[in-house]
Amino acid sequence: MPRIAGIDIPEKKKVRYALRYIYGIGPKFADDILAKADVDPDKRCSELTDEEVGQISSIIDTEFIVEGALRRQVQQHIQRLRDIRCYRGDRHRKGLPVRGQRTRCNARTRKGKKKTVAGKKGVKGVR
Amino acid sequence: MSRSLKKGPYVDEKLFNKVEKLNAANRHAPIKTWARACTIVPEFVGHTFQVHNGRHFNDVFCTEDMVGHKLGEFSLTRLFRGHTNKKESVKRG
Repeated sequence: MPRIAGIDIPEKKKVRYALRYIYGIGPKFADDILAKADVDPDKRCSELTDEEVGQISSIIDTEFIVEGALRRQVQQHIQRLRDIRCYRGDRHRKGLPVRGQRTRCNARTRKGKKKTVAGKKGVKGVR
Repeated sequence: MSRSLKKGPYVDEKLFNKVEKLNAANRHAPIKTWARACTIVPEFVGHTFQVHNGRHFNDVFCTEDMVGHKLGEFSLTRLFRGHTNKKESVKRG
C-alpha cells in the first residue's frame, strides 16, 4: 500500500486521481507531479514500484505545501486579515460571507444552520 | 498576467505626495483623506490617515501587514447595531 505525503493512502485508483486525495493537490498539480516524476498517470496505485512512490513523494515534499502545513498557512492568512482589522477580517470574525455576497437570504455556508427568530414573519398584532 | 496586474496599483497622487513630503521632513502627522480606493504602499507604513467613511474620518494607522490593501478597507461605511428584539420594537412602534 503506497504512502505519500504522510498519511494519505489512496489505493486501487489510477495515480492521477489518487493523488487528489492529498489536501492541496488537485487535477492540475496531480498531472504536473506525475509528468515530472515520469510516471504513467493511468497506472493503478497498487502497481507503483517503490522507486516511483519515492519519486512522487520527494517531489511533493520539496515543491508543494500540502496537508497540515497548507492548512496552517491558510489559517495564518485569515489570522492576518483579522489582526489588521480590515473589512475582510471583520467578516471572518463575524462568520459572514467575505466576498460581498448577499446576506439577506441564503449565505448558509458561512452562517451555519438556520436560527429561527420567533415572530419575524407573519406575526399579527405586534405593531 | 491578469489585467489588474498589468495596470499596477492605484495610488492617489496627491496623497502620495503629501506622504513623501512628510517622509522627507521625517514627520508623522495624520492626513485627512477621502481617497478610500488608494492602495497602501510601503511608504505609508507608520503614518496615520483619517479616512472618510461618508460621515466622519476614522483613524487608520498603517502597519506593514496592511501594505497592498486599500485605505477604505479599514474605515467601515456601515453601522450595524444589531437586530431589534420583539419587545423593543413594540415599545417603539
